[in-house]
Amino acid sequence: MRRLILKVHLVLALIAGAFMAVLGVTGSVIAFEPELDRLLHPNVSYVTPGAKVLSLVEIGEAASRKYGGEPIVAFLPPSSPQFPAEVIMSRGIVAVNQYTGQVLGLRTRGPTVLGFVRALHTRLVAGDIGRSILRWSAVAMLFSLASGLYLWWPIKRVRIRRPWFHARFCFDLHNSIGILSLLPLLLLAATGTVIGFEDQVARLLDKFAHPSLIHASQSPASSVSRPGSAPITPDQAVGIACAQLPGTVPYRVQMPQYGGFYVVALAYADHRIAGDSNSLSIDPLSGSIISTHQSTDLSMRESFMATNEAIHTGSIFGVPSRIIAALAGVLLPVQFVSGFIMWLRRAMPSRPDWAGGARI
Amino acid sequence: MRTSPRKTIWVVILFAIILSTISATAGDLSGKWSGTFKVNGGDHTVPQLFVLKQQGELLTGSGGPNAGEQYPIEQGTIAANRIRFELTTGEWKFTYDLRQAGTDTLDGDLKLQSVGEERTAKVSLARVKSD
Repeated sequence: MRRLILKVHLVLALIAGAFMAVLGVTGSVIAFEPELDRLLHPNVSYVTPGAKVLSLVEIGEAASRKYGGEPIVAFLPPSSPQFPAEVIMSRGIVAVNQYTGQVLGLRTRGPTVLGFVRALHTRLVAGDIGRSILRWSAVAMLFSLASGLYLWWPIKRVRIRRPWFHARFCFDLHNSIGILSLLPLLLLAATGTVIGFEDQVARLLDKFAHPSLIHASQSPASSVSRPGSAPITPDQAVGIACAQLPGTVPYRVQMPQYGGFYVVALAYADHRIAGDSNSLSIDPLSGSIISTHQSTDLSMRESFMATNEAIHTGSIFGVPSRIIAALAGVLLPVQFVSGFIMWLRRAMPSRPDWAGGARI
Repeated sequence: MRTSPRKTIWVVILFAIILSTISATAGDLSGKWSGTFKVNGGDHTVPQLFVLKQQGELLTGSGGPNAGEQYPIEQGTIAANRIRFELTTGEWKFTYDLRQAGTDTLDGDLKLQSVGEERTAKVSLARVKSD
């Protein structure tokens, strides 16, 4: 049985190990994507907090003035006083200092280094084929981790014997890192598998529980104008939305000409799972709430998927869990390389210096 | 005066080409069009609904996933059999490059761009028959 499990462990690693390593490294980068993005674009990422914060109308006017009166698609209010407000336009995303109205710069749409890393993580930059390879690599990782635990169990090695880089080094390294990173890697592999097979999992969940109805009123086909009333401003729309869901902060305001209504997206700062799944559609003419979508009204499937994603991204417990997820991810290439060297030593027994104590 | 058969064939072919070009370009695209797209490497099939207004070579109107969520069409042009337009829904910009496959169908490519990523998809739209 042990021989069979070892064979399975080896074959899985040889087939999918390189892809697992890619998933690990790219996942570690993505875990800190917002921070890295700000690091790469400091000129449009930071502001010095001032005494007065400009209204969205003023911020939008500053951005629109800079770019020939181009209409505003949406606002992204800052998530911290140190970050600028962002204004989405057709030409790109404009960063505006919300204290002074200074336009910090424009980020145009198109591929970036971090976007490439994300594309590698989600589909190997190879469309449907890449996505299929990665989803099955996540499944392979689950089996690889389980078989690795089975193989480790009788040995229970959690230390690396000296001398460094001796024949036993890879064996000890593989075993020690394997067991120390087992739990986070199991969680990442399991949640990654769910994301990879999202549609299938969703269908399965829907079989057990019917999707709950979203708390939403019927949307009229168009805005309802009150005689003599002027359209409300985006700031008024945010005020209406925040009054409806106290304790939330706005993180996105879609303008009515881009969707018919103001759509204000709100987040509960202390809710790490689906805390940002709140949005209200507001009639720009009457100011009435057309529909609401609250994180408390999520169906079982939506809640499950949101929890799964929070675990996978490491956001479930904030920065500490993101660090753990990132560390576990970067250990995957180490596991792949150390395991590969162990296999090479087994596959080439004629080399006497490779035959040391590295056998399991 | 006799016309050679070869000449007749060439004239017929020329007429056929002219007619097919005219029929391909003359069809007014104004109206409702619906369909779907699935991003290459994506999970879901995304519904599409467009309300197009053609004025010569200019294309305006709106599009989005459904009637309740429509975004204005930008940079809409029709040249020969090629229909091009853009939609900005927020972080993503959708650039359509379509061809009229039949009187009531449009096929082509879609490019989706955000700050960071670029995706592609195949799109197929069919005219929505009015009741």
